[in-house]
Amino acid sequence: MAEEIKANVTLNLEGLMCPMPVVRISKAIKDVVVGEVIEATATDPGVLIDIPAWARTTGNEVIKIEREGKIVHFFVRRLK
Amino acid sequence: MTPETQIKVPEDYKKKLPRDVAIALETCVRCGLCTESCHYYKSNPKSDFIPAYRAEVFRRILRKKDYSEKSLGAMSDIAFSNCTLCRRCVMTCPLGVDTGLLMREARGLAVASGTAPEILVQLADTAISRGEDIEIFREMFLENIKALEEEVRQLTGDPQAVIPVDKKGADILFVALSGAHSIIPPSILFHYAKANWTLSFFEASNYGVLIGDKDRAKRIVQRIVDEAKRLGVKEIVVGECGHAYNTLRWEAPKWFDGGFPFRVRSIIEVMAHLIQEGRLPLDKSANPEPVIYHDACNLTRNGGLLEEPRIVLRAAVKDYREMSPNRDDSYCCGGGGGIIAVPEWDSKRMEAGKPKAEQIKATGAKVVIVACDNCRIQINDLNEHYKLGINIGGITETVVKAILKAVKGS
Repeated sequence: MAEEIKANVTLNLEGLMCPMPVVRISKAIKDVVVGEVIEATATDPGVLIDIPAWARTTGNEVIKIEREGKIVHFFVRRLK
Repeated sequence: MTPETQIKVPEDYKKKLPRDVAIALETCVRCGLCTESCHYYKSNPKSDFIPAYRAEVFRRILRKKDYSEKSLGAMSDIAFSNCTLCRRCVMTCPLGVDTGLLMREARGLAVASGTAPEILVQLADTAISRGEDIEIFREMFLENIKALEEEVRQLTGDPQAVIPVDKKGADILFVALSGAHSIIPPSILFHYAKANWTLSFFEASNYGVLIGDKDRAKRIVQRIVDEAKRLGVKEIVVGECGHAYNTLRWEAPKWFDGGFPFRVRSIIEVMAHLIQEGRLPLDKSANPEPVIYHDACNLTRNGGLLEEPRIVLRAAVKDYREMSPNRDDSYCCGGGGGIIAVPEWDSKRMEAGKPKAEQIKATGAKVVIVACDNCRIQINDLNEHYKLGINIGGITETVVKAILKAVKGS
């Protein structure tokens, strides 16, 4: 059984258009300490690509990202 | 670091200035005729918001070689948050001084000196990252498109409707933004126009341009150019994004030796052409309410699309009206140039959007059509802030409503 991911902060990014989901995550990551996790939901399907690309650029980790119907559900861990 | 600390910037920055920038810097006679043209100044008449003043701040830094953190920080703030690069001021300058060009150059200096807003640089780098290793993102992208294709099939009622990706020999490479609203309506449009098209793996927006960093801007464009060449398309069609159209149509071809081996059009031009040739079934009753069109600066003043959106809307809606002023004299919505991505400046952009809110209110129209996502986000926010009571829609989705009504009766 998969281990449940424990989030320190939860964000609702539903209804926001690109680039706002990335903007909000980028701001929120500064408010958590290294190692902590942000959980978010979004409706802009572009986040499926944008969030992993942003994490790659900024050196953070996407622990999980998946589409659940029209909602994209993801977890990001601050690494630095 | 203290405010007086000197920041290391590229050696002798001024010598590297392109000639059009250097000439614009030297030509201004500080007559102030640009003052009233600026939407920032119109909503808050402070000297900080006079275009000539903004340019003067940049000019002084270069002349004095004052690369202190304090001066560069102030310049960065002015270049990024007191100007949306809309270039309305250029239209009123008797000497044609391009203050927008100067502010973009100032932004480039801010990036080079590390004083630019971090998020804007991150957005440019995120786009570059997406192009560096397509394979990492390919599966996720295709899964996403598959889901959107299902929606296209439901909306058209045609199980054969597709969103082609990576199609060699397509005539059109369509470059959308990342949201479903930017992909589904054009897919339906192309379906009914029987176009031979394919969807780009990359998004149209280019934060490299918005931060005045030509290297990053070119790398973001390069991804799309390579894809277009690989697929052998005849043209790139850009979705509803103002700065992406302006960049790909007018600026980027100059960055590549010999220009592009394909043409670049906006989806608005494609629709206008199809309508003029009578190739789209349209029923205006799908859009019965009074409609106005917001002229996005990068599509109209800077992009040259003055009449095409009007050809499209007059064919797709029952009651088309104009805001005043319009076309290349239109006010910026206050959300351009990347400012929407910097939450610290939200109240400033609401203030800067006041002239546009007043323009919209004066028409009495309840539907505003916007063909640029930056503007769309801003006008959505203006709607809430100024209680305009409007609905905001895209131009392609408006046309698609008229197509579906004509074809399916709904």
